Amino acid sequence: MTSQTVHLYRSMKELPSTHLLGTGTPMCAGCGGLEALNQLYDIIGERSVFINAAGCMTLLSVYPFTPFRGSWLYTAMASAPAGAQGVRDALDILIEKQRIAADEDMQVVVLTGDGSAYGMGLSATSGAIERNLDFLYICYDNEGYGNTGQQFSGATPHGARTSTSRGPRGYPGFKKDLFAIWAAHKPAYVATVAGAEPVDLARKIEKAMSIKGPRLLIALSPCPTGWDYDPKDTVTVGKLAVKTGVWPLKEYIDGKVMHTKPPRERKPVEEYLKLQGRYKHLFEPKRNDKLIAEIQQKVDRYWNQTD
Amino acid sequence: MTRTLLTGNGAAAWGARLAATDYIPAFPITPQTEIIESLSTWIDRDEMTARMVTMESEHSMITAAAAAAASGIRVFSATSSQGLLYGMEMLYTVSGWRAPFVLVNVSRGLASPITLEPDHNDIMAARDCGFLQIHCSTCQEVLDSTLMAFRLAEHERIRLPVIVNMDGFYLSFTREPVEVPDPAAAKRFVGDYDAENIRFRASAPVSQAVAVIGGAPYSYFRYETHMAAQNGLDVYDELSIAFADQFDRSYPAIDAYRSEDADIVFVMLGSFATKAKAAVDRLRAAGHSVGLLRPRLIRPFPAGLFRNLLAGKAAAAVIDQNLSTGMGGVLHAELAAALYGAADAPSRLLSFIGGLGGRDISLEEFYQIAKVTRTAVAEQKTPPPRLLYTEQELREMRKLQAVASVERDELNNSKGLSRD
Amino acid sequence: MYRIRFHGRGGQGMKTASRILGTAFFLQGYEIQDAPRYGAERRGAPIFAYVRANDQPIFERGIITRPDLVVVADDSLVPVPAAGVLTGVDRHTVLLINSDQTAETWQHRLNLDSRIITLPAETTERDELRFIGATCTGAAARLLGVITRASMEQAIEQELADLGDALIEKNLSRALLAYDSMQPHHGCVNPASDTDATAYTAPSWIDLPFDEARIAAPDIRAAANSVQIKTGLWRTLRPVIDYERCNRCWWVCSTFCPDGAIKVDDKTPVIDYDHCKGCMVCVAQCPPHAIEAIPETLAQEQEAAEETTS
Repeated sequence: MTSQTVHLYRSMKELPSTHLLGTGTPMCAGCGGLEALNQLYDIIGERSVFINAAGCMTLLSVYPFTPFRGSWLYTAMASAPAGAQGVRDALDILIEKQRIAADEDMQVVVLTGDGSAYGMGLSATSGAIERNLDFLYICYDNEGYGNTGQQFSGATPHGARTSTSRGPRGYPGFKKDLFAIWAAHKPAYVATVAGAEPVDLARKIEKAMSIKGPRLLIALSPCPTGWDYDPKDTVTVGKLAVKTGVWPLKEYIDGKVMHTKPPRERKPVEEYLKLQGRYKHLFEPKRNDKLIAEIQQKVDRYWNQTD
Repeated sequence: MTRTLLTGNGAAAWGARLAATDYIPAFPITPQTEIIESLSTWIDRDEMTARMVTMESEHSMITAAAAAAASGIRVFSATSSQGLLYGMEMLYTVSGWRAPFVLVNVSRGLASPITLEPDHNDIMAARDCGFLQIHCSTCQEVLDSTLMAFRLAEHERIRLPVIVNMDGFYLSFTREPVEVPDPAAAKRFVGDYDAENIRFRASAPVSQAVAVIGGAPYSYFRYETHMAAQNGLDVYDELSIAFADQFDRSYPAIDAYRSEDADIVFVMLGSFATKAKAAVDRLRAAGHSVGLLRPRLIRPFPAGLFRNLLAGKAAAAVIDQNLSTGMGGVLHAELAAALYGAADAPSRLLSFIGGLGGRDISLEEFYQIAKVTRTAVAEQKTPPPRLLYTEQELREMRKLQAVASVERDELNNSKGLSRD
Repeated sequence: MYRIRFHGRGGQGMKTASRILGTAFFLQGYEIQDAPRYGAERRGAPIFAYVRANDQPIFERGIITRPDLVVVADDSLVPVPAAGVLTGVDRHTVLLINSDQTAETWQHRLNLDSRIITLPAETTERDELRFIGATCTGAAARLLGVITRASMEQAIEQELADLGDALIEKNLSRALLAYDSMQPHHGCVNPASDTDATAYTAPSWIDLPFDEARIAAPDIRAAANSVQIKTGLWRTLRPVIDYERCNRCWWVCSTFCPDGAIKVDDKTPVIDYDHCKGCMVCVAQCPPHAIEAIPETLAQEQEAAEETTS
């Protein structure tokens, strides 16, 4: 893979102002996943091939239209990392055997939602990391099976309402710790990002692009349709996820986990929950103090352990 | 050219090697493992310049194979039964990518109940997925078919993946004399991989295998794939002639053995059809007019050729080593569909189910099949489908059932143990 | 058989509207079929729903290609090809359009033989849009002439039972208001007569020609041609930059736009109105609050006015 100059963005002024991904895609207005993808694609660039698993983003490209200036391959829900393996190996073989010029090489990038990443695709991801595949993995995490109507997935947080958890206490399960699962494989790089924190995101993708091996990112993707809030609040919700400590911005590299933007004084999670219709049952018709406290405790426990 | 003893698996591995395969995604499953072990050993010893990667499942294996083919390199892989089915979603998916590669399937009976021995239910399950299918009956044929399969898959009028099927154990683990073509000659036959315009290059971005919304465009893509598969009939004939010219071995789409002047004909796939040939010879020696049709191409289905070869025959007895639950033998049903309405089609088409889970089919059973078929012709009455299964086998089964159903108490009591 | 098609945007309640009408027919003893049609769930994207009602069991399936009544909840959909508002519309079809503009204007603009009836548009405040479905259904029921006010009421209470009394009441009052307002057009919709099997236009069947995989694989070689799809047509609110207040930080709106529809031209942000979906993230995030949200219809009127004066 050709080397990249590392910018290590310091402020938003330095972020790319040219947006490479084409407009005109059928993602919902205010899609937090698309926002993150736009920011990532601006830095990853068109010398890339995106390998996709079934999810909202599968509909980015519907014949005969595509928003990509680089390449794209839709595979299936469980096997995008395997598709990445095939493409990466093929490019290596073609270059090694001098059947194509070295500058025909591309960054191989898996793009999946949380449905695939946290669940069905976990086996393929595990295999790919185990084989030390040189690829990027971007998971846009909207905390549910979005494309099918927001049923709960392995990424759904405790207490959230989804179309399959409509009871008074919402989703009884707990969000799987995908970051820890990936990090346990000791890949080259793991990071959490959010479109609401573009400088942090830009630094991380730049860093990822400068390394080889398996590099995996989870992008918190606030979802107006699934989380039930007005689309204009996508960035507000994303920022609050970070400021309340619900979404830690961190990276794993060389065996260590570092928090890149720890909230100095964490806002109460309630501020984050209140904005979203998927948590409305925590406040109406009656406040569920117990459940709100549970959620707060979980966040507190996480940050107390990292201090 | 060297004549050497090879198992079916060894022959498949040689086919992949002689075709100058670039890439082999793999996952082990009985009875295929020797194929990937051979390839792996050759690669480790630098006798073969290819890359092998062990994937974590067959679903991933087929995805990786097709993704690599869609990137523009020559790909080989192999699997069997449960693995073929685990990857079934991807078999359908990747044929629509129109990126060619070769998959060897070592046929094995499907769970449940789980078994390790051969039959054809696995490969029959794949008949609608878009892969072409070639069926082999000897180890030589496995090697040769693998070479032919690459050219078939990569032909510009096809561009679809191809499965080469061999029976587990009876071919996969059985050694036979095989003439291994000289590498230069094999390479000359197969040629270089031409990705055409389906590949990934930085200089030529492409969005591949995108979503299609709308019944009319979807119908277009699917039917074009079907027509490409249908082109396999003509292309296969061209290739088998070219292969015969170069290597002096002839593999028509249907292997017709002593059938031209036969009154009745066995129709059968795979390695057990070799036994049918022996039965034909003995029946002929006993004065009966019998022949054998052994289709090598199952997809595309050589309907026209079947109609020609069966025209004027009194009867055909189809022996299926597979069973479509609730319907019967698959080859029988497909042949019936091909023959319906054809002038001069045999008036009797009989169905026999045998060889499930590797059960042997004896010569005596072939003789009896011929007799039942002759009777059907004479009495102008087609008997119902028959499972080849004997009285002794049922007696044995009852004994096994008796053992399996002995209650724990009985065992305990017989051992002098008591329950408190 | 009555064949009715509803057109709206994801989030405007067309599925519910079709169910209310379906239930109303059902309560009156009709055999019915109702269904929405959309791809994956997408707020703002065009969807349609349909209702069939017959006094005999219905032997039809799938989309309605020859509607007796077409109900358009959002008139901005009419010019959108993908919305298919005018598919199968002929002189027999009645069009009910929720629009500020008059029926005469639409008659002139669309140049159709069909009868066009308009409902005055709701204000484009987002809250009010929630009742468009009920309004349209109430009006449609009156145009059909065979659905009683009582059946409408019962259908709404049944279909919206989950929403609670307050919302049911709001929807009900809207629907009944619309029902009453359509009195002059009572029963103007008639079921079309069945097509004739003795004299019909034959389908133009062909044998599909074989195309090589070079052409016949589902691949796209054009780069970023998605821009040909004007997702700006999804918009009901338009963000407008006040360049006096804009302090040219140039990064916030452009970076946060989920669709990348704000480009930076010479350190000045420019919104691509062909593609802006009107999510209003830029309005919410602009540090000096230099971006204002105005109703899209108003913005289009202003644009049209500017064009005539320039």
